[in-house]
Amino acid sequence: MLEKNLLEKTAAEPKAGLTRREFLVRSSIIAGSGFLSIGLPGLLTGKEAEAAIGTPAYTPAIWFTITPDGKTTMHIVKTEMGQHIGTGLAQVIAEELEVKWEDVRLDTPLESVENFGVYGLAYTVNSGSVTTEFDRIARAGAAGRMVLVEAGAKVLGAKQADCYADSSRVHDKASGRSVGYGEILQKVKIDRKFAYPDDLKSIVLKDKSQYKIIGKSVPALDIPAKTNGQAKYGIDVFLPNMAYGALVVPRSRYSSKVLSIDDSEAKKIPGFIKAVKIDDSMGKCTGWVVAVAEKFPAAMKAAKALKVKWDAGPYANLSSADLLEQYKQLSKDEKAGAPWVLEGDVDKGFSEAEKVLEMEYTTDMVCHATMEPLNCTVQMTNGEWHVHVGTQSTSFARMTLTGYLSKVLKKKPEDLKIFVHQYLVGGGFGGKQDYDDILAAAYCVKETGRPVKLIHTRESNFATSFARTPTYHKLKAGIRNGELLAMNQDIVCGWMGARFGVGKKYGSDWLQQDSWDEKKQDIDQWSIGGSDHWYYMKNHRVRAWNHEATTWAVQASALRTVSNSYNIFVVESFMDEVALAAGRDPLEFRLSMLNGKGGNRGIPNTGHPEGTRSDYYMDQLWISLPWTKEGSWVPYESATVGGALRLANCLRVAAGKAGYGTKKLPPNTGMGIAVTAAEERQSPTWVAGVAEVTVDPATGVFTINKLTIAMDPGTVVNPKNVEAQIRGSALWGASQIMSEKLTLKNGAFEQTNYHEYVPIRLAQVPEIDVTIIDSGHHPSGVGEPASTIVAPAVANAIQNAVGARVRHMPISADAVMKAMKKA
Amino acid sequence: MPTLSINGQSYFSDSPPDTPLLWVIREDLRLTGTKFGCGQGLCGSCTVHLNGQPVRSCQVKLGDVAENALVTTIEGLDPSDAHPVQQAWIEAQVPQCGYCQSGQIMQAAALLAVNPAPTEEQIVAHMNGNLCRCATYSRIVGAVQRAAELMKETHHA
Repeated sequence: MLEKNLLEKTAAEPKAGLTRREFLVRSSIIAGSGFLSIGLPGLLTGKEAEAAIGTPAYTPAIWFTITPDGKTTMHIVKTEMGQHIGTGLAQVIAEELEVKWEDVRLDTPLESVENFGVYGLAYTVNSGSVTTEFDRIARAGAAGRMVLVEAGAKVLGAKQADCYADSSRVHDKASGRSVGYGEILQKVKIDRKFAYPDDLKSIVLKDKSQYKIIGKSVPALDIPAKTNGQAKYGIDVFLPNMAYGALVVPRSRYSSKVLSIDDSEAKKIPGFIKAVKIDDSMGKCTGWVVAVAEKFPAAMKAAKALKVKWDAGPYANLSSADLLEQYKQLSKDEKAGAPWVLEGDVDKGFSEAEKVLEMEYTTDMVCHATMEPLNCTVQMTNGEWHVHVGTQSTSFARMTLTGYLSKVLKKKPEDLKIFVHQYLVGGGFGGKQDYDDILAAAYCVKETGRPVKLIHTRESNFATSFARTPTYHKLKAGIRNGELLAMNQDIVCGWMGARFGVGKKYGSDWLQQDSWDEKKQDIDQWSIGGSDHWYYMKNHRVRAWNHEATTWAVQASALRTVSNSYNIFVVESFMDEVALAAGRDPLEFRLSMLNGKGGNRGIPNTGHPEGTRSDYYMDQLWISLPWTKEGSWVPYESATVGGALRLANCLRVAAGKAGYGTKKLPPNTGMGIAVTAAEERQSPTWVAGVAEVTVDPATGVFTINKLTIAMDPGTVVNPKNVEAQIRGSALWGASQIMSEKLTLKNGAFEQTNYHEYVPIRLAQVPEIDVTIIDSGHHPSGVGEPASTIVAPAVANAIQNAVGARVRHMPISADAVMKAMKKA
Repeated sequence: MPTLSINGQSYFSDSPPDTPLLWVIREDLRLTGTKFGCGQGLCGSCTVHLNGQPVRSCQVKLGDVAENALVTTIEGLDPSDAHPVQQAWIEAQVPQCGYCQSGQIMQAAALLAVNPAPTEEQIVAHMNGNLCRCATYSRIVGAVQRAAELMKETHHA
């Protein structure tokens, strides 16, 4: 996995090797005021953690700090990029800490070697923040409340048993008196330790029925500043004596080599400083030349004026139009396909079938196209490197820059002092977890001796996109007596995790189970997830092929729901096709297979292998995050509890609310259904959706009239925010099926700006009906999964409207017309 | 050196006259609420008011801004950041990542300034040029309608 891989590469990280873990609760005297600091020391030994927490000049390395004014600042490591995650996590802490919501503030810790040792990995992906943080921060909050009640009882001269906490105060039931948290801190020095993890595990958390803040739609704390221009994003950073950098769009997306730079025209531009050829010897920023100038408009002009010659590298002739044939060719070597799902005997199933259905599906590339273009400001001062950026991982930003600078500057990693300052992120979607811009900005600093703010123009941002890979799928179903007897999915694409070493790293571990031994092959879970769906099938196989050139040429990478975004389109479209071929109703057919049998029953707790499916390995992956490296801290319930039955429930709700199969529809109008359990087998969020679509039979143009979505994400922390996430992600899905398309021509992306790469706009927004099923289970992520069901639901609706089956994403009017003629 | 009147204050800029107003506002004057999105007038993130009209500041050249022209940015929309559109935006919890929202708010405020009771169709037509990648769209129409109500209430009060 990414983190493991990078950790190994970065020598400067503190070593894990924990012998003793403690949960520290401590107040210390800083400038005459008592602070209560609470933290779970992640990777540090207890002694090191104490040192980090006890240093007065140091930001308390903790989850939250209560100050004598009674305010509580929650230290949020997760990136704020539109999910209002700080608000959600603060709600969880505040619930157990019994802090009045009005007393809550948020801040973000600085990323450094020292803080990494305390907080662990700062990385926001996979819709996993609430899922992974909920339990331990709730316990941190509860521990804080316990010591405050103890201390408060002392201040009040009361029996501890008579005291309870509420609204930032400790109350004595016997006397009716109370004292505020701030006052307690001024009067009592707190020094308590909880053994980690046993003491913490033994804390009894609140029952859901006692919740006061969790489950409430408190307004998001980051919103007011986003309405008055005060919100600070990475692009809003200013440093003294700062210069600006603009990238010259390289000849090809990846692996161009700079042959020569002619700056004679650029030199005529007032304010031009120099053209910096970025050191790309680590395979990052390949062929990058940055025009550095006093101001950004001058830098942009200079970037255009620079005449750069490149060797366009090995992908110079690669174009989207050629890929399909290559993918088809690759999949002919069946033995080379890496197995991902192996259940039963698929080939035997096909041989016993009465009817075999075989279909090919394809999907185009898409990219993040975040509203805030990638940018980064780097400063070197007093031997310290300061990176100012809005990123999905300040930790990886620091680690990657550490590796790069140690090579470029020929320094030992441990001699580099690098700090990453986090800012708001103007759209992430997986697109802000690469660090080329940081490396380039740092290199410009090295070359100019000035702080540099590197800003991508929209054009250079598109040109250097990390694309979702194009894909080719072969689907095969064996049908007998109206039942699905066997199903096979073969997937060919660039492997999105391969650049990070994911496939190679995990391929061998992944298939260690005895029966799979002979099939040990590299596999990239980031490119194949979603194909391991929750339908019960006796015979089911999924195999994947890596098209290596695609992987590198388009820098294939994770984009909102990663591979679910195409695999759910393919699987859920095909399910409708199978249902029709089997003479079944698509809804009834799905429900019959969402029966929770076998590996689809869900696991009562993490850590249980189940069948030969990917469950067990996903568990290993999920819990192998740094803070659980020693494996003991996963007390929370698995999101898989209830399994496919929860998904069936969502499907019934969505279909019922939409009137699927019952509502009378106008001509050329149809409904389509789809389900998903994205993000991964181990971290499912159960979602079902119905799309109502009208097709113009004369043109093939389709209009999405309405989306009906039902989601069961377990416990709902902030309903209004969850609804916003569902609506936004549903429209992301609509955008993908309607119009988003990135193409490669001669090694470079063809689209340059929003007129050529076309996201959904206001006028195209359909009515959206959202149902959130708060099932009370451990919470799972809500920021992504609903985006996956829209594309297949729309494709299925088009078929039901006019009989046209389009097996490609996005769906163009032409493709609908062609499919109508075939029908 | 050209003089600029932004949010009621006078500024001088030493940028060349062909500099997009956006970069003067953002980088010279450090009024960073106005955002750079596309540089081609395609996304609306950089929307400001020029003499009350919504314009894409990436498409306006500094030299084309008349001496007596009045420029308003998100920072100057309301002295206490409580313009009805801003209030409605918070009430409806419109922003997600928030990056495009200054532009959305400036665009919406310009509509309500000339049309205090827009229809849904008018709102959609007026706001359609403002891209939002988080797709906060389904709250935007309602928030503009709410802002219109708030303006009416203030007017009557």
